[in-house]
Amino acid sequence: MINKYYLILLFTLCASTTLAQTAIIKGKVTDSKSKEPLPGAYVHLDGMHKGATTDAFGNFEINKLTAGEYKVKVKYVGFSEFEKEATVSDNQTMIIDIAMKESDEQLKTVNIYSKLNQSNESSSRKSEKNANNITNVLSARAMERSPDINAATALTRVSAVTLQRNSGSDEAYAIIRGLEPRYNNTLINGAKVTSPDPVSRFISLSVVPSDLLDRIEVSKTLTPEMEGDAIGGTVNLIFKDAPEAEYFKANASLGYSAIFFNRKYDNFNQSAVLSKSPSERFGPAYVAPPGYFTRANLDFTKKTAPPTALASFTYGRRFFHNKLGFIIADSYQNQYYGTNSQFNAAIPNTQAGGNYKPVLSDVANRAYSTQQLNNGLSTHLDYKIDDKNTIGLSNVFLYTYIAQTRLSIDTSIIGGNGGRIGPGTGTVFNDNRSNIQNQYVENLKLDGKHILSNHFQFDWAGLYSNATANAPDRADLTLNHLINPDFTSTPDYFDAISRIWSKNGNKDLSAYANLGYKTALGDKSSLEIKAGGLYRHSTRYNRQNEYTLRPAAEANGVKAQFTDIYSSQWVVYNVTGSSTSDAANYTASEDITSGYGEFKLNINNLDIVGGVRVEGTKQEYDTHPVVLNILSSAKKTYTDVLPSLQLKYKLTENSNLRAAYFKSIARPALYELVPTATFGQSSDVTGNPYLQHTEADNYDLRYELYPKNEEQFFVGGFYKEIKNPIEFALISTSGGQLQTTPQNFGTAKVAGAEVVYSRYFGNIGFSGNYTYTYSNISSAKDVPEAGTVNGKPVLKNQSRPLQGQTGDVANLSLLYKDDKHKAFAQLAYTYTSRTLSLVYPNYGYDYYQQPQSFLALSAEKQVSKHFTLTGKVNNLLNTPTTVKINNLVQARDVYNVSFNVGFRYSL
Amino acid sequence: MKVKYNHIISTIALVTVSMVSCKKAEVTTFNKVKIPTSSPIQPGNIAGFVKGTLLTGQTYTVTGDITVKKGDTLSAQPGAIVVVKNNAQFNIQGVLNLLGSQDQPIFFNSDTNKPGTWGGFQADSAQAINIKWAHIDNTGGPDAGGSARRTIVVRGAIPVDIEDSWFTNGQDDLMGLFGAKVTILRNTISSSGSTDGEGINLKSGATGVVAYNVIFSQAGSGVKLETSTSVPFPQTEIEVYNNTIVAIGWRRGSAEPGRGTSVGVNAIGHIFNNIYVNCYHGIELFNDGDVTHTTYGNNLFYATVDTYTDLVDPTIKINIRDNFYPAGAAGSPRPTDLISTKIGNFDPLFVKFDGTVAAPNGFPNVNDFRLQNGSPAYGAGNTKYNQDLGAYTTDGKGNKH
Repeated sequence: MINKYYLILLFTLCASTTLAQTAIIKGKVTDSKSKEPLPGAYVHLDGMHKGATTDAFGNFEINKLTAGEYKVKVKYVGFSEFEKEATVSDNQTMIIDIAMKESDEQLKTVNIYSKLNQSNESSSRKSEKNANNITNVLSARAMERSPDINAATALTRVSAVTLQRNSGSDEAYAIIRGLEPRYNNTLINGAKVTSPDPVSRFISLSVVPSDLLDRIEVSKTLTPEMEGDAIGGTVNLIFKDAPEAEYFKANASLGYSAIFFNRKYDNFNQSAVLSKSPSERFGPAYVAPPGYFTRANLDFTKKTAPPTALASFTYGRRFFHNKLGFIIADSYQNQYYGTNSQFNAAIPNTQAGGNYKPVLSDVANRAYSTQQLNNGLSTHLDYKIDDKNTIGLSNVFLYTYIAQTRLSIDTSIIGGNGGRIGPGTGTVFNDNRSNIQNQYVENLKLDGKHILSNHFQFDWAGLYSNATANAPDRADLTLNHLINPDFTSTPDYFDAISRIWSKNGNKDLSAYANLGYKTALGDKSSLEIKAGGLYRHSTRYNRQNEYTLRPAAEANGVKAQFTDIYSSQWVVYNVTGSSTSDAANYTASEDITSGYGEFKLNINNLDIVGGVRVEGTKQEYDTHPVVLNILSSAKKTYTDVLPSLQLKYKLTENSNLRAAYFKSIARPALYELVPTATFGQSSDVTGNPYLQHTEADNYDLRYELYPKNEEQFFVGGFYKEIKNPIEFALISTSGGQLQTTPQNFGTAKVAGAEVVYSRYFGNIGFSGNYTYTYSNISSAKDVPEAGTVNGKPVLKNQSRPLQGQTGDVANLSLLYKDDKHKAFAQLAYTYTSRTLSLVYPNYGYDYYQQPQSFLALSAEKQVSKHFTLTGKVNNLLNTPTTVKINNLVQARDVYNVSFNVGFRYSL
Repeated sequence: MKVKYNHIISTIALVTVSMVSCKKAEVTTFNKVKIPTSSPIQPGNIAGFVKGTLLTGQTYTVTGDITVKKGDTLSAQPGAIVVVKNNAQFNIQGVLNLLGSQDQPIFFNSDTNKPGTWGGFQADSAQAINIKWAHIDNTGGPDAGGSARRTIVVRGAIPVDIEDSWFTNGQDDLMGLFGAKVTILRNTISSSGSTDGEGINLKSGATGVVAYNVIFSQAGSGVKLETSTSVPFPQTEIEVYNNTIVAIGWRRGSAEPGRGTSVGVNAIGHIFNNIYVNCYHGIELFNDGDVTHTTYGNNLFYATVDTYTDLVDPTIKINIRDNFYPAGAAGSPRPTDLISTKIGNFDPLFVKFDGTVAAPNGFPNVNDFRLQNGSPAYGAGNTKYNQDLGAYTTDGKGNKH
């Protein structure tokens, strides 16, 4: 038989040059049980290098065939292999519809390397069902069902995950169970990727194209083999291995932000930004003349906002008898977005009858115009040496360029050198800022998996990660004028200019190794034991150099009037810059050494996974002080023992009951320890070396029901006791910026419940999840109306929710797909309730971000074999981000609706 | 099989117990910053950590920042001369005692003798400040971040006693005293603040007396009183009396006019017997000040010109007399005030006055603000403080310069 096929093959190959290639085999692959189409299944002709992968509707087409006899094969993990012989003649189009049968193989020895195709939805339900811990898995198929272009948008459909977004951009960070990003880990292929952003520890999820992803795993409980610094959970983005068939997919779209229908984009000359400060160019003793500093980057002009352009492609194939797989993806986003913002500083009302309630001391209106260019290039190579050994190499390179204009009009209501008597009067400051930033992230990972014997497996990984951010010449111009009580105005005066060059870098080197042993214990039980460790050395540096330019006084000594930037005269006040004495020039490092032992015992219907992880941490910083200060150099050490126990009881074939306990931690970011200010958009953070790391005891209970493929129902509850959560507290407001510092306020109790349900009814799919979380922490606050006792303020304990903890989180999505017309549509709704954003120093008041509802609509229609039109509308409700102290609006940011239309090409 | 499980479980339990004992609590160690011991002052070049006494008749050259540690005292005898180079400053964490005399004042100046060329006394965490009969000139050079430094800055409820001294040509606030207990008597502050900065800036719960001082040509306000915007208690409460405040508040521009004396942000002022001449604004009681407890009266306001052309925008003519109590603020003329209505009316009759309205930072003060016979300021005072107005009084309690 085999020989016969080889002959046919040979014949086909030889004859291919002369014979007509006109036959076609096409059809649809479905699940025999659910009748659901199976996308991503590879249909191939046995013994030939020819095949096709099914599209999102399960359709495939293999064309350009010569007449003859073929054996059609389909392999799809979780299903028995399908085989059928077919004979086609010239110009024939043969239709073969394939119904795949599920296989129920239970493997008891090491099976991790039999390639489990987890990228389909029902197998993701399976991996949820079979996972050791409490997870939610989003498969590539689920991502493909709806036109999510990146990991961030896809993630919103995972239970209890919401996204924290920044000012109208596509930037997004995961919030799990309403716990802010600091308590969660974002991993790429199981490894951390450093971020150059001083404030966020992780890269934005929006730069990872969803085409590259095999699946996204969200783990809400930790097993000992996972890194212990996640209290909310871990988001793991797992890249695809190269598929067996050649794979190419490309997206392109154009978009626009509706905010620019109402106003222009504020632009500045980006080429006028000097990449190097005077002392960087000419040495620390160089006396910078006024002429060194450029003017065009403080000349703000209005232009029509260009459209946002997004493009991405993914290409993959395998070589050398499928041993070497190669997949590359590039995601390019050039976005123009804006924010109209109100930012008001609040202080206690000290007026008679004011009762020290917060009142506004300043009112500022700010308009941001931002260009952000992201390019993410990801490559993944896997080499299967043999059935037992594979080696992988992945590289993620991200480049981000940001150019931002901030025009701010700030009126001081209380204090300062005011003179305000009512609305529309007083001294008005115009604070106009331009800055650009270049960020580079390079992350290289080499890993291997080896089956050493029938019972032993070994895997290892080495990682190099380097992230830098360079923000040259942040230029800030302040002008002021007075609006008199009769509403006449003085001219604009030139107040000050500051120019700041800053730079930072993070470098990580890590190594992981794990050894596993697995054996059967009788017919129905098995035992798996794993041990391993990790070492990571991270270093960080921060450089800052500031020059202050003061207006040259008129001959009579008076401040000069401002007409335009080109005719302004200034003197360089600190001629050699601040670099030699600025405490913002620091180095810091973090070393993590950890090891774990883990077992998984499977006895009949009960799975027990447990063990202990030990993590040792050393954090250090040095601000290289010029002025001697005890806080200028410090070291922190701590070792945590993190036990974990997870029980899974299989109630029936389709349902599980799970219970888990684990201990986990959260470490402060290095910049949060260094006692120097890190500048933010509207608030600056001064680090606190006394800050303790956070420790949490976590308890989870979940019932899972899997009635049918792709259908799921989960209900669960959790309780966490979080010792020393890190929360931000207000120290003061200065220069229109909030000055905050991270602090520990005690122990928080967090309890919650979640429900997840998803189901597909023919053409309509529904998926929804809801998480309710209660959190409470009590800390001492000042009671100003009580005055002082012995010169000290009177303190009183106040109960409040944990900072960054959202009470209600709901995600609902409605999917519609029409196989006949090859059209998809999805409406996604997200709700988050009131969240404490900043701790106010006085009793009874805190800053709360107000409830938000977001609605997004996306749709696509396949117009030809290769082309699909796509469209997306985000923020349909034009939801503002509002922060209030009781009824006082402290900040309100409006981003408006954004539109995107484009197409997708797939091979 | 049972046995096997038991083995496994007991092994796991043992491993768990042994690992639990690994836990180590968080330890924060601050790497010791080497603080040198203070050395006694010797004539000649000084820098670094010092304590001791600057001697009569000796000249000292400060070549780098000086730090006086907590518990240490830096004293100066009458007639000591200090020349500061390299924009250096004095960090006072201990006690500063500059005790000159009328015959032999103490001198602090930079080597270049130009405005804004050394750092002054950065005494944020000082234990006490006493300055008597000292000349402190040309302070306010930029700090590391590029900001002008205040000449004397204190944060904390410590005694600050500054008497009979001269301060000229600072660049920012001449005195920034936050929360201090102040006694500021009989000083002369001239031509300070480049395009911003107050003469005497008292905030964050400062209490005490500001009396018999002459403040001439300050960029911002002469005397500014505020409580902290975020910490309402204790309130700032100051008696401001018998000061002569002239040509104040012009250099900051009309967007932020300077005041002879201002009271804002929950502060309390008791403002009596002062003479205000040619100030952009006279007394301004902001609506956010503690207007209820503030008292004022018996002040003299005068302008040597009818209108003053704004230096920046010549189309604006400023009527100084309209701004004695500026519109929009809570203050209003008191019956006991002497308020000039035209040139010559209630002219305080200074012994010598060049008629300065606005002048640059560093402008020489060649005036003599003593009063000629027949000055309306004589006998017009609130007698709780003094029978006369201004810094120079007939009872001899006033300014001795």
